[in-house]
Amino acid sequence: MEFLTWLEHTEFSTWMRESDWGHPIVLCFHAVGMALVVGISFMFSARVLGYAKSVSLAAFDQLFGLAWFGFAMNAASGIVLLMAEPRRMPVTPAFLIKMILIVFAGLSVWALSRALEGMERVPAGELKVPTGAKVSAVASIVFWCGAIVAGRLIGYTIGPPPV
Amino acid sequence: MTEADILHWIRDTSLGVAVRQSRWMFATGETLHFLGLSLLVGGILIVDLRILGFLRHISMRSALSFLPFVIVGFVINMLTGILFFAADPMMYWPNPAFKLKMFLILLAGINALVFTLVEHRHALPLGEDDQATTFMKVSAGLSLSFWLLVLLLGRLLPAFEGSTSFL
Repeated sequence: MEFLTWLEHTEFSTWMRESDWGHPIVLCFHAVGMALVVGISFMFSARVLGYAKSVSLAAFDQLFGLAWFGFAMNAASGIVLLMAEPRRMPVTPAFLIKMILIVFAGLSVWALSRALEGMERVPAGELKVPTGAKVSAVASIVFWCGAIVAGRLIGYTIGPPPV
Repeated sequence: MTEADILHWIRDTSLGVAVRQSRWMFATGETLHFLGLSLLVGGILIVDLRILGFLRHISMRSALSFLPFVIVGFVINMLTGILFFAADPMMYWPNPAFKLKMFLILLAGINALVFTLVEHRHALPLGEDDQATTFMKVSAGLSLSFWLLVLLLGRLLPAFEGSTSFL
């Protein structure tokens, strides 16, 4: 707790809360990262669920690099946003729910990659997507949507700092 | 009717009144706006990166088959955008970030229209590993740039609330 109070009073944390530009700029990165992670995850899930059947799974390889880049950008910008409110954020339910949903989204993407292991090079026409992969794809869509809802709610529900 | 009359009229429409009185409509609209932009960006990435020469293992026809996601995302964001605007037209209208964002959406639309009318049928037969023409690549590069700027300006919009110019 003392550490969080110290963090809140650092020059950077104070600047993030009080400057005109700190928050908007960090949120720009957070929005671009979100679009990359969620957008690419949605498109890959659509493919797994049977959309654009002529596309092989390997064709998405380069996009996964971009999605990981977006994820790293959001982890970094997310940490900066957390540093701006180190005492209020961890007691905001929407923030905690968002973190849990991101973990679940990550786990479903991992489960999806496990369920599709060895199928990357299968020609698109011969690919039979197992049911487990489809379930994981739906789960990832649901969890990303949930994370976006919870993230949007943080701004509306963040409370006063604990005494 | 002057500009102010029109803005007042929009503010007083039943939509504007409803959004301002509701506790949840604006926040729900914002959440849908994020989902819409994710769909738009996800779809446009596949189309534009393929045209630019990445994602070579996707035939152009397959890449272009992701366009419906872009259109659905755009429609979601246009509708939720109208909802935001109706709630507070006097804030949005003079806002320079809003004006530039709308202008860039217009440019992105014209760019997409030109591609559809001039290049779409030449692009469709391009198979895996086939290169797009320079004209197509310029169009795809512009599209990615416009949408990235639209996203950033949208995010920066509240920071320009109350200003009438960027400087």
